[in-house]
Amino acid sequence: MRGDNSGLTELGKRLISGSLSDMTLQRATEQTPDFAILPWVNTVKIGGQSIMDRGRSAVMPLIDEIVANLPHHKMILGIGAGTRARHIYSLAIDLGMPVGVLTVLGTAVAWQNAQMLQYLLAKHGIAFLEPEGFASLPHYLMERGAVICQGMPPYKLWEENPEIGRIPTAAHRHGLLPDRGGLWRAQDDLCERRRRALHRRPKKGPGCSPHSAHQRAGAPGAGPGRSRGRAGGSRLDADRMAHLRNSVRQWLKPGQLSAALAGDPVGTIIFNAEPKAAFAAAAP
Amino acid sequence: MKSNRADAQHVVSRLMRESLVDKKVIAGTEAPVHAILPKLNVVQIGGLSIMDRGRRAVLPLLDEIVANQAEFTQVIGVGPGVRARHIFSVGLDLGLPTGALATLAAKSSAQNAYMVACLLADSGFVYLEAPFIVQLLPAMLAAARGAVFNGIPPYDLWEHPPAVGKVPPHGSDAGSYLVGEVFGARSVILLKDVDGLYTADPKTNPDAEFIAEIGAAELIARQLPTLPIEPVLLELLLRARLAKSIRIVNGLVPGNLTRALNREPIGTLIHR
Repeated sequence: MRGDNSGLTELGKRLISGSLSDMTLQRATEQTPDFAILPWVNTVKIGGQSIMDRGRSAVMPLIDEIVANLPHHKMILGIGAGTRARHIYSLAIDLGMPVGVLTVLGTAVAWQNAQMLQYLLAKHGIAFLEPEGFASLPHYLMERGAVICQGMPPYKLWEENPEIGRIPTAAHRHGLLPDRGGLWRAQDDLCERRRRALHRRPKKGPGCSPHSAHQRAGAPGAGPGRSRGRAGGSRLDADRMAHLRNSVRQWLKPGQLSAALAGDPVGTIIFNAEPKAAFAAAAP
Repeated sequence: MKSNRADAQHVVSRLMRESLVDKKVIAGTEAPVHAILPKLNVVQIGGLSIMDRGRRAVLPLLDEIVANQAEFTQVIGVGPGVRARHIFSVGLDLGLPTGALATLAAKSSAQNAYMVACLLADSGFVYLEAPFIVQLLPAMLAAARGAVFNGIPPYDLWEHPPAVGKVPPHGSDAGSYLVGEVFGARSVILLKDVDGLYTADPKTNPDAEFIAEIGAAELIARQLPTLPIEPVLLELLLRARLAKSIRIVNGLVPGNLTRALNREPIGTLIHR
């Protein structure tokens, strides 16, 4: 090894000798290329409360549609938590549990839902991968067309406190969305959710109004109760894959998933039009 | 409940059918938090600042940890150091995204943590990977005399992309702090190669003034060009429920860790 690190790139020399808290160094890392690990994969999020908790009437038609799409599209199917998570959050908050413990508990519910979906898709050769097994993901996708994973990321006890309240923010339903979208350069992030479009008050009937079909992430009208994870907007701002789109699709009509996979304009698309501008705004 | 054919099968709870993204609902969940292990002291050994210096820096520090073993319950987080910087360099050159860089860097800190655990093994310390911290830390602390863990949080592919750049924002400072916060630890002590926080980098600026104590919000507002800790840690402190301060201490000076464990005013205290 040479003493002057001269085999390193210019950026590498700064990374070795500089402080990572230096914003000019952080900005310099922007100039590196973006390699898409799995450019052909689609991430599909299946809601816990909105879909799984409805049982057979909601899940079975979706299973049929997933199976029908297996020969045509590669899918990472992430499953959310739902009403049992709400129950255990209530109980755990009452018992004084910290947010990290709530995440461990909530992730178990997403795991249950993912495991249930895997039982239903098992005869089609679909595997359930836990985060530790993700290195095998490309193989399963190439062989069988889809894999199932829990929709919550594995933050465990290391979940950050939210700004307000005690519900895990970062982990909750945000696991399959832009973070991994950026990682895999997903063609499309499809949220299979109950609502036809984003609503300002999605769970309360009267007075809820659909947003325009295309809405920019973090736009002011994005409501007090969006149908995506709360952290999603800011993550999307941070996403560097300019063409990544997050689509909130309505599940009830058969064919919506197929249309979304085919790139047809169904549901609502949330996109980040100017990711670099978002970076510039975030920099001091 | 509406008699909708396809309505969900709910479990009755306070949060039933509420949107967990509704700010009013979220605010209603604010409640006191139970400190799970209030006697715990989280001690973070810096990678670049301590570990990479080898036995000259590490062994006296480990002696001091052992000397405090009878009086204080300590769990030791360890940082990755220069090998993480190197793999960032190669990984960025190849175009790898933040989540991949985080997964790779976490192995470098696991190596350092494992070496520390080997050096503390005959004093009864155990090395715990993240799943064992979740399941076994209380049992291990009851049976063993302390624990060592990987300072980098187990976010792996799910690491949050930063607002600027591509380097994973949550390193071993953030991971060690989060262990302190979730268990309601007595103290979180970060051992570095500087005496604490200065108004400028003391290595390059002789006029830099020492800061003995400061609030996280004020420190963010000062927008110092560099910090001896991960900037994300300040944001985590603003949202602290239990671990409401961290102390940055020079781990190369014998006696500093002992003073910090005894809550003497050494180094810099950053509070919520």
